[in-house]
Amino acid sequence: MPSVNPNFANEIIKFGAKDFNLCFNCGNCTAICSLSTNDETFPRELIRYSTLGLEDELKSSLKPWLCYYCGECSTDCPRQANPGELMMSLRRWLTAQYDWTGLSGLLYKNLWAYLLAMVAILGAVIGLSYFTGYSQTEVIHIGHLFEMIAIAGVFSFILLPNIIRMWYFTILKPGIKVSINTYAVALKDLFVHMFTQKQFLGCEPTRENKMRWLLHLILVFGYLSLLFTTVFLNWFSTESRFIIWLGYIESAAIFIITFLFIQKRVRKVDAMHKYSQPSDWFFVIWLFLMGFTAFIVRLLIDFQLINNLFWVYVIHLTVLAQWALIIVPFGKWTHFLYRSFAMYFETLILEKAAK
Amino acid sequence: MKQRIGVYICHCGGNISDYVDVEQLSKLIANEDNVVISKDVMFACSDSNQKEMIQDIQEKQLDAIVVASCSPKLHTHTFRNVALRAGINPYNYVQVNVREQCSWAHSDTPLDATVKAYGLVRAGINRVAYSEALENIEIEAQKAVAVVGAGVAGMRAAIELARLGNSVYLIEKEEQVGGRVAQNGKLFMTGEDGKSLTQRLLNEVKSLSHINLFTKATLEKVSGSIGNFLLDVNVDGNLLKLNVGAVLVTTGFDFYQPAENEYGFGQTQRVITLQEFNQLIENNTNELIIEGRPVKNIAYIYCVGNRQSKGPNKYCSRFCCTAAIHSSVRVHEKFNGIKAFHFYRDIRTYGKQELLYRQSSLNGDVYLKFEEKEPPVIEVDNGYPVVKVKDYLTSKKEIILKADLVVLVTGMVARSDSGQVSEKLKIPIGNDKFFNEIHPKLRPVETVINGVYIGGACQGPKNISESVQSALAGVAKINALLKKGKIALEPIVARVNAEACLWCGKCAEVCEYDAIKPLEMNGKMVAEVNVATCKGCGICAPVCPSDAIEIAEYSNQGIESMIAGFAAEAEIKQSETQHKDEIEHPQVGMKEYPEEWKKILSCFTGEPLTIPQISDKSGLAKELITYHLMTMNRYSIVEPAGLNDEESYYMYKPKNH
Repeated sequence: MPSVNPNFANEIIKFGAKDFNLCFNCGNCTAICSLSTNDETFPRELIRYSTLGLEDELKSSLKPWLCYYCGECSTDCPRQANPGELMMSLRRWLTAQYDWTGLSGLLYKNLWAYLLAMVAILGAVIGLSYFTGYSQTEVIHIGHLFEMIAIAGVFSFILLPNIIRMWYFTILKPGIKVSINTYAVALKDLFVHMFTQKQFLGCEPTRENKMRWLLHLILVFGYLSLLFTTVFLNWFSTESRFIIWLGYIESAAIFIITFLFIQKRVRKVDAMHKYSQPSDWFFVIWLFLMGFTAFIVRLLIDFQLINNLFWVYVIHLTVLAQWALIIVPFGKWTHFLYRSFAMYFETLILEKAAK
Repeated sequence: MKQRIGVYICHCGGNISDYVDVEQLSKLIANEDNVVISKDVMFACSDSNQKEMIQDIQEKQLDAIVVASCSPKLHTHTFRNVALRAGINPYNYVQVNVREQCSWAHSDTPLDATVKAYGLVRAGINRVAYSEALENIEIEAQKAVAVVGAGVAGMRAAIELARLGNSVYLIEKEEQVGGRVAQNGKLFMTGEDGKSLTQRLLNEVKSLSHINLFTKATLEKVSGSIGNFLLDVNVDGNLLKLNVGAVLVTTGFDFYQPAENEYGFGQTQRVITLQEFNQLIENNTNELIIEGRPVKNIAYIYCVGNRQSKGPNKYCSRFCCTAAIHSSVRVHEKFNGIKAFHFYRDIRTYGKQELLYRQSSLNGDVYLKFEEKEPPVIEVDNGYPVVKVKDYLTSKKEIILKADLVVLVTGMVARSDSGQVSEKLKIPIGNDKFFNEIHPKLRPVETVINGVYIGGACQGPKNISESVQSALAGVAKINALLKKGKIALEPIVARVNAEACLWCGKCAEVCEYDAIKPLEMNGKMVAEVNVATCKGCGICAPVCPSDAIEIAEYSNQGIESMIAGFAAEAEIKQSETQHKDEIEHPQVGMKEYPEEWKKILSCFTGEPLTIPQISDKSGLAKELITYHLMTMNRYSIVEPAGLNDEESYYMYKPKNH
């Protein structure tokens, strides 16, 4: 029998939840949500678990990841209990639960810790440039090397173990037994959702939602391909016109779209942009800076303004390092992985239930 | 004996005359003894006929009238007024019902209907012949009031009664005044302390010389009746006799006391009632401490001893949701870090009190819903209560809460001594043991005992505002009653023939209103009726072995003559026009229409109307309009015009006339 945890509400508030306690259980949010079905009674069910602090129920739930925050529930909530924002906060909380290092939770809850980490990385990059004797080629070389090591390291030591933990909490621990065959067959869903964000299209097909989906998708592709272009096609050092133009397009797509996103968060018009947490700001601003600084670096190279390049590259490298060492493993970046894996695990559960 | 009687037989459009041969009847009646004038009229209640009746009464010097028409419920007052306007006593009028009890009931046998109507009218004529001129009974009333119970409602009522110039005796059983409110801390809405609120009222009570306050006082005996009650009051051992015109009962209520082990009550110090909890809030300052340890998690359990589908307390007490949530908000204001869990069945913080519910939600209070069939279970673990519940809001998941304190939110029940008060004042009590009013909507503070009023929560669960409101309504009623110093009562009461009476006491035994007492008269005991208490129910008359008691308007002679009149042989001819199939409605002129018809017709301005719309426009009651439209429709004055847009009402429109 689950026990009420009276302290959970205070905990989830630290992750950004707003006024969810005002909920009087009318169920409008569930009724209005186009992603909620007879079997998926979110967000109401999750509001209830959060109110009572039923952590085990929440930890084993994939439902927060199935929501793409169109904000209808918050707009139509008769008590202004912000169910959409609670779902968002639960995703942050779950990210912290999955993370074996515990750093995610610390950074989500403590802005000072976040800032300190960012500053420490800035110091490290400046220190690094000092040790190279401010040598441009060496810094670019180290930067390139760092990218590859960071990707491999973060993936194998942080992201992979965390996804295994997610699997443990949501599949293994609740005792859902799935055959290897099902795992293999369902695998295609992982990639379909990762690269099409199909679930997003389940939200009410308004013009705004379609636009959000499209921009989101372009951003994902832009980001992944820029990563590939810089790391494996060595964009900053390449001579290939095709690769150069590709990189420009990708980085431009990133900073234009993130600029639009930042604008929306500043204007706070839509429900999903009303309450931005530090982690949201860092994510969207750093993504913008990544695209923008990469664009500028390549521009300076192309216009042969070599004199100015060193410090611009150091800025770019700082942004990159902060991104790769903080935002990707412990920040909002992980939602890209968890959402796709949630869809994958959900397929497993549904397959199992169907049998 | 009346010897100049006027009889009016109504066609009621065709309602009566379609089946009863009204014209033949009227001619036959004209031959009856004592009948001076007999007429059949299209609408007896119409203005023109009323005028004609007055003219007849005055010109022909009639001394009594009979109208044979519809039910007396509809038009007794109409024709009593006609009598009054014409200068004869209203009680020299008898209405005979030849519609509901004759034409409508016997529409299949018109001849028999006419025979019956003949009997009924003759009975009426005989009855009116024996009728007497009666005047309202006027009695002197004491301009003094006893208010029983000095809680917030009683004190407030006493103050207003005194200000209106009445002497007030405020009788309180306890040593302290203020009742339940005085036991409260801060109250919702005003934030004022219960104790200071009642203290303020007490100061006011003491400042008014018209109010005599008796504490440690109980009602011992009540006699007398409206205008002149005699109360024996025991004030701390001394007997006091009071003479008052009316009594206002504001004795209040008891809190439901949980049974041993009901929700763990009595098993640990950590399960307490809301009232005990409120004391705890007031007594602690910085931290809420129980058994030497700070309280962190509080579970409130609602509807304890209330809304029991099987138990004696069937319904909601109205105030407890608000009271409990108010306490919870108070706790949040006064102490830090306490979480509240409300185990409720339905939250009923109606009206402005809803703001309190919102505040509690904002404070982070958690609400869990249960149903009566699956109430929370409380187990005691090491002295600490553990609440287990199937939360209906979490798909009936079984949930455990380890609480530091369980607060049982109990409702109101009738006072344990309500039976004694009811016995003395003869106020009826309901199954719920609360005092009963005459009519919950229309006469909410009056009791069937004339001059005895109820106010506040002795009538049923009420919050403070509602209690004070009802007590003040009682004040208004009492003041209106006593203001003139005289009280007018209906004259239809029992009367004793002192010569025939042998005082066997049988009448007093059966009288439910205690209106009959023995009296020594000319050396013998006879029954005496207290006209102020007698309701004219008539139960005493048939039990009297010497026929010494009768009811005004219903004398033995009168009733016997009615029977004789009804039973007399009648020769009625089969009328040639009395075949239903051939009924042709005569045309009626507008000036003959009853007043209500004119009002109804004047509402129509082209568009068809529904009954509620006609009611709005004309100011007539909907029932009355329905009744008149029925006749008007039958008489082709109006016709139905289909359903309205919402398909909730039939519409009517006038037919071309």
